[in-house]
Amino acid sequence: MRNIGDVLKQNLMKREVIISLVMLLVLTYLAISLGFPIIFSTLILFFIFSIVTLSLNLEVGHTGISQFGRVIAVIAGAFVVGAIPGRILAFLYGLPFGLEYADDAVNYKVVPLIHKILEKDIALALGFLLFCLVLAGLSGALIGWLTSRPAIRLREAYLGISLLAFGDFFMWVGHNWEPLVGGTTAVFIPDPFRIVWGYRMQAVAFTLLAILVLVYLFIERITKSPFGRTLKMLRDSPLVSRVYGKDIVKIRTQSLVIGSAIAAIGGALYVIYTGTCTAIGFTRLTWTFWPWAYMMLGGVGSNIGMVLGVLVLTVSRTLIILYRKSLFGFLLLWGIDPIWLEFTLLGLVIIFIILFMPYGLVPEKSETVLPSGRIKAILESVRKQSSQTPEN
Amino acid sequence: MFPPWLAGGLVYASALSLTAGGITLLYITTRTFNFAHASMATFGFYITYIFYSFRGGNLYQYLPLSFLFGSLLGIICYIGLNRPLLKRQASTITLMMSTLGYDLILLSIIQMLCDYLSYTFKLYPRRVTMSAFDFEMFGTSAASIITPLIAITILTLLHLFLTRTKFGISMRASIENPILASASGINSDKVYLMSWVIGGGMAALGGAVMSLTMTGTPVMGMTVIPYMFAGAILGGLENIYGGILGGFIVGLAEYVGIYYLAVKVGPWILGYRMALPLLIMAITLLLFPRGLAGIQWSYLLESIKRARKGAKS
Repeated sequence: MRNIGDVLKQNLMKREVIISLVMLLVLTYLAISLGFPIIFSTLILFFIFSIVTLSLNLEVGHTGISQFGRVIAVIAGAFVVGAIPGRILAFLYGLPFGLEYADDAVNYKVVPLIHKILEKDIALALGFLLFCLVLAGLSGALIGWLTSRPAIRLREAYLGISLLAFGDFFMWVGHNWEPLVGGTTAVFIPDPFRIVWGYRMQAVAFTLLAILVLVYLFIERITKSPFGRTLKMLRDSPLVSRVYGKDIVKIRTQSLVIGSAIAAIGGALYVIYTGTCTAIGFTRLTWTFWPWAYMMLGGVGSNIGMVLGVLVLTVSRTLIILYRKSLFGFLLLWGIDPIWLEFTLLGLVIIFIILFMPYGLVPEKSETVLPSGRIKAILESVRKQSSQTPEN
Repeated sequence: MFPPWLAGGLVYASALSLTAGGITLLYITTRTFNFAHASMATFGFYITYIFYSFRGGNLYQYLPLSFLFGSLLGIICYIGLNRPLLKRQASTITLMMSTLGYDLILLSIIQMLCDYLSYTFKLYPRRVTMSAFDFEMFGTSAASIITPLIAITILTLLHLFLTRTKFGISMRASIENPILASASGINSDKVYLMSWVIGGGMAALGGAVMSLTMTGTPVMGMTVIPYMFAGAILGGLENIYGGILGGFIVGLAEYVGIYYLAVKVGPWILGYRMALPLLIMAITLLLFPRGLAGIQWSYLLESIKRARKGAKS
C-alpha cells in the first residue's frame, strides 16, 4: 500500500524529461553530422511504431489481454489500403480496377496514371488520405471484433498463441492470393503526398506527428475516463470487476476493437509512407515482437512510456545501422555483418528490462481520483484537524 | 515403401511431435511458453549440418550431439533467465517474453555463425537441403523410417523415465502438485533444470529432424514455431503425451491433408498449406477449450450412452 503523498510526488516528470532530452541531443547530433533525410526517416518510423505500440498498450497494459497478434490488425489496415482505395480511384477514372489491378504487369502502369490525377488536385489528395485512414480504422475495428470472439472463451496463454498463429496465417494469405495485394510482388499505393513533391518526407513526418498527437490524446483521454479505470480494474482483478457488475466480455471486446482500429491506422500509414505494400514484409517479428519490446522498455501501462520506449529503441537501431562499420568493424574480419547486432540488441533489451527493471523506463503511475491540488488541500485540512483534536 | 508425400509428412510430423512435446513439458513444469524453441531447433539443425560437412559419414550419428547442444542451451536459459523469474513468481506473459529475448539473441548468433561459415569455410549455410545427404532404405528415404523410430524411442524413454525411475516419479509429483511435492522434500529446482535439459534437447533434435524434409535456413525455426505451438495447444498443454500426439496430428495434417486437397481441389491450394493445421487447432479449441488432453473421454462416452438410453426410453 503506497502512501498518498508518494502518489503526488510521482507526478513530477523528471525521468521523461531526461530521457527525451538525451534522445533529442543524439538526434540533433545526427542531424548536424549526417543531414536531415536520416532524421526524417527515423522520426517517421518512430511515429508509426508509437501509434502501434500505444494501441498494443491499450490492450495489454490497460486491459490485460495477451495480445500476441498485433500484426493481424496492422495487416488488416495495410492490406485494405493496398487493395481498395487505389481500385476505387482506378474505377472512377476508367482504369483497370478488377482482379487485374494487383497484377504487377498492370499495377505499375495504372498507379502512375492515378498519381497524375492526385498531383493536380489537393482536395482529392487529402480526401484520399482521409478515406484510407477511415477505411483502415473500420477494417481494424472489424478484425478486432473478430479476434475478440475467441478472446472470450480462451485462457490467457492459449489466446496469445492462437493470435500469434493467425497473424502468420493472414500474412501467408496475402502472400499467396495475388488479387489482394499482389502476392509475392509488391502492389503500389497511390501516393497522396505527391502534390508536395520535393518536400514529401517533411510532409509525411508532420502528418504523422499530427496523427500521433491525436492518437496519444485520445488514448490518454480513454485512460483517464471511467472506461479506462474499468479497464484497469479488469486487468488487476477480473473477479472484482464482476462483483461490481461489469460485463467483462463487453469491456474486452471494446478494448480490442479500439486498439485494433488504431493499430490498423498505423499499418495503413506505413504502407502509404513506403508507397508499396508487400505481404511478406508484415512479419510477426517486426509488427508483434518489436512493439512488445518497445512496450516492455517503456513500462507496461504507461502511455508516455510507450512513446519514450519507441524513441529510445528506434534511435539505437538507427545508430547501430549507421555506425556498424566503424564500431563493430572487427566483426567484418570474420565475414560477419554487424547488422545482426540489431537482434542481439533487441533480445538483450528485453532480457535486461525483465530481469532488472520490471516496470520499464517510466513505470505506470497510479491515477489520482481528484486533481493533485485538491488532494493536497484535503490532506492539509485533515492534518490540521488531527493536530487540533486532543489525543485520548 | 512410402510415396514421397507420406514420407515427407512422417518426417515433419515426427519433428513437430518432438518439439511440441518439449514445449508442453516446459509449460507444465515451469509455466513457460518457450519461444526460444524456434532458435533451439535451428541450432540443432546447424549442429548436425556443421558436423556432417566437416566430418562426413552417416548423417544420423550427429543427432545425439544436437540433442546435447539443445540441452546446453536449455540449461543456460534456465540458470540465467528462468530461475530468477520463477523465484520472483513472474507472470506467464513475463516468462514468455523473457524466452523471446533469449530467442532473438540465439537468432542473431545463428545469423553470425552463418556469415562466418560462408566467409571462412566457403560453405552455403543459408539454404541447405539436408535430404540430399540422406540415403535410401527399403526403396524410400531413410529419414521417413528412422525419424518416426527416433520419435517413438524418445517417447518410450520419456515414458520409462517418468514412470520407472525415482527422479521421474518425483518430477511427475511436482508437475501435478508443486506445493505438496516440495513439502515432501522434492527439490523443484532440480525438476525444472531436468525439464529444460529434456525440453531443449527435444527442441534441437526436432530441428535436426525437421531439416530432413524442408530447406534449412537460419529462420527455419522462426517460420515453424506457430505449428509447434499449434501442436502443443491441440494436445492441451496439460499432458506431455497430448503434446506429442498434437504435434504429430498437426504435422501429418499439413503434409497429407494438403496433398489430398490438392488432388481434389487443385494445386493452387498448396500455397495455403499452413491454414490446415491452424484450422484444426481453431476448431478443436472452439469445441474443447482445453485441447485434446482436456477432453474427459469417460464423461463424453457416458453422456453419449445416456443420450442413447434417453432416445430408446
